[in-house]
Amino acid sequence: MLQLDKVSVRFGGLTAVNEVSLEVGSGDVVGLVGANGAGKTTLFNAISGLVRPTGGAIRFNGADILHAPLHRRARLGIGRTFQIPQPMHELTVRQNLIVAQRFATGRVDESKIAEVLAFTGLTEKADRDAASELALTELKALEVAKALATQPKLLLLDEVLAGLETNGKRRFMQMLKGLHEAFGVGIVIIEHDIETISQLCHRVAVLNFGQLIAEGKPAQVFSDPAVIKSYTGA
Amino acid sequence: MSMMTNMNANMNENMSKTRLLALLALCVGGPLLFAQDHYVMSLLVASMVIGGIALSWALLGNLGGMISFGHAAFFGVGAYTSAVLSMKFGVPVLVALLLGGVGALVAALAMLPVLRLRGPYFALAILAYAHIFRILATEWTSMTGGSGGLSNIPPLPTLLGLDLSSKSGAYFVILSIVLVFAVIYARLRESHYGLALRAMHESEDATRVVGVNSVVLKGMMLLLSAFMCGVVGAFNAHYISFLEPDYAFSALWVTIPIVAAIFGGYRSITGPVVGAVVVYLLDQLVFKNIIPSGHQLVLGGLLVAMIVFSPDGLLPLLRKLFKGKFTRSKHAAT
Amino acid sequence: MSELILQALYSGLLQGGSYALIALGLALVFGAMRVINLAQGELVLLSAYIAYSVESGLGLNPVLAIPIALVVVCLTSALVYFVVGRIKKDREINSLILTYGIGVILTNGMLLVWKADIRSTSSEWMQEAFVLGPFYSMRSEVLFFGVSLLMMAGLWWWLSRSWYGRAVRAVSSNRDAAKLMGINPGYTELVSFIVAGILAAFAGVALFSYGVISPAYGGVLTVKAFIITVLAGVGSIPGVLIGAVLLGVAEALTVTLASSALQELAGMGLFLLVLFIMPNGLFGVRGRRG
Repeated sequence: MLQLDKVSVRFGGLTAVNEVSLEVGSGDVVGLVGANGAGKTTLFNAISGLVRPTGGAIRFNGADILHAPLHRRARLGIGRTFQIPQPMHELTVRQNLIVAQRFATGRVDESKIAEVLAFTGLTEKADRDAASELALTELKALEVAKALATQPKLLLLDEVLAGLETNGKRRFMQMLKGLHEAFGVGIVIIEHDIETISQLCHRVAVLNFGQLIAEGKPAQVFSDPAVIKSYTGA
Repeated sequence: MSMMTNMNANMNENMSKTRLLALLALCVGGPLLFAQDHYVMSLLVASMVIGGIALSWALLGNLGGMISFGHAAFFGVGAYTSAVLSMKFGVPVLVALLLGGVGALVAALAMLPVLRLRGPYFALAILAYAHIFRILATEWTSMTGGSGGLSNIPPLPTLLGLDLSSKSGAYFVILSIVLVFAVIYARLRESHYGLALRAMHESEDATRVVGVNSVVLKGMMLLLSAFMCGVVGAFNAHYISFLEPDYAFSALWVTIPIVAAIFGGYRSITGPVVGAVVVYLLDQLVFKNIIPSGHQLVLGGLLVAMIVFSPDGLLPLLRKLFKGKFTRSKHAAT
Repeated sequence: MSELILQALYSGLLQGGSYALIALGLALVFGAMRVINLAQGELVLLSAYIAYSVESGLGLNPVLAIPIALVVVCLTSALVYFVVGRIKKDREINSLILTYGIGVILTNGMLLVWKADIRSTSSEWMQEAFVLGPFYSMRSEVLFFGVSLLMMAGLWWWLSRSWYGRAVRAVSSNRDAAKLMGINPGYTELVSFIVAGILAAFAGVALFSYGVISPAYGGVLTVKAFIITVLAGVGSIPGVLIGAVLLGVAEALTVTLASSALQELAGMGLFLLVLFIMPNGLFGVRGRRG
């Protein structure tokens, strides 16, 4: 479904992403790990369209999307959450989802919105005053809900668990585990916690200084000496 | 907790509906009382013209998220387009009004590349465009009559027995125009587009990531605002029957509507229009008597004072003071 | 014909000096505070009118107006800073409207005091021809071009060597970190407004000495300064000078080859050209938007 072919992103003198090739099938749950600054978020930005790669190709369901603008990629089925939640502050939760669904799919389906609300545990808060009133856990849930409302085929989750306390983390883990079955999306998830990744993902890709240094099953990857070195720093 | 919010929401809705009806009654009834007094009527017509510009300006600011200092461009282009079309090409006046709006819209098309500029840059770029159009109007003498301008522009016609070129007739024309625009604005604001537009203000990327084509939406707001302002400019041209570049593109058509919109509360729909009437009347009846040739100075001072003390407008401030007793006014997406 | 063009280039170059000063004033304040002072042009004009009053009222050479202009304009600029500082939220947008309002106040104030007539210097010393090879200009043009160059050099030195320059760079990239390092952002901002006032004062006297002024001209100056900052991109003093010269030359060429009425169009045309072709200005930093 998603094919990254030697994708590179350079900012002036800095190479944030260095010839990364990756494939994500529609049934996959792929983890993307690496130290801070390894280029994970930049890679996400390249896939979703916030940043234009300086080299390589990106194909989604066969089509070359390298030159597709952001909103087109959303309509093609690439959904994405931001590490620091960026809700539509003045709108209610429900309105956030309505906007997302209306513009990504062209229609508003109340039942699907209800489904997403229920799945992310936001049904109660759906029509409260503005999204700006939500707590962090709810904001993070809203990030996921927004992306789900666009009825994506590929979901890019950027550190959804960061900053959550234990209970929140547990609830989110449950949610993420069921994500794939409930919505049939291919998922790429950035997380720091090895345990989380191991539980959620079929496959893991490891970035270090913008380069892909390992890829495979979690158990395999996390016992790879090169990977361990990149984490403990050397 | 949520019941309280609902109650408040309902109360506010009812209050605003009543307020709306009251305003409407005032707008329609008031002039009927003054129909004989030409001076008052001309003041009202002029204040409605300002109201129309203020509304289009506020629309661009609220929905488009862009502050413009160049609405005089749209006003002037609309005025000239309509005047020239009716004078040189025999287009009926009422049709010419609409075409004036279209002319302004076309002018706005030339401004679309400027959309990608951030706030201050956009505002000034529009101002630069306004200068360009003024110079064009002054220099393109064959079409626009040059700096001498156009005179004897065809007046508004007589429709269904009502002479629209009379003060009262003209008033009802401009009132209708403003009302129609207000309705369009309101509908737009409540629609999905309105939601998306408002979300775009804080984070355009967050909306683009869910499929909103923010560039096109913003562009549409610019075109719509230009169209509205252009129609108002066209109306004014046929109402005054005379047009010249310095008048059509005057900074007054920028300053007074901005003061009006901010005064009345530019976040609401009625705000700019009410603000226009109040500010314009204040300007003509009070400020002009204090400082005849520099009355704009007071307007500038008013603008500065408002931004410092109450950027959301003076009228909303007053409203809040009165409501403060029994309402916690926290609205989501009204 | 080519002599005409060369002459136009020369005149444009000289004019560019003063334009650069105005644009730099705008850029300084924006760099320190993320605020565009829409009244900058009016500050320049105020200085010009002071020069006029000194000349017509006291019969002195306009150059002697500089000290008075400096005091008045810098005070006014500081006043603008204080008012802008009172804005509580949405500073970017509200400061725009606010400084626009201040511009209106200043313009109309000048209109009241000095009336709408067009003024220019009657000092013969200023207007005396100054010939440099094949090029002709007024003494005032060359004089103030030299002054502008000096000021720009001084400004560049000051920004790069002095405490202030480093402070501005710190504040504009990370306000909180700058505070932690002991830099008072408020003070830095005030200084930037005052320096902008100094630049405006000189530009105003220059303007009066070789050009014409009228109350409406303030807004035009602000627009020109803005165009130059767009031409120059962000953060480059030499860039501003080159942009200013470009504008001056474009105007001079338009006046020579077309008509003086179209002079302003030259600037606008240049502006649009740059917008469409090089959105980051001639010297700006390339963005990486997808």
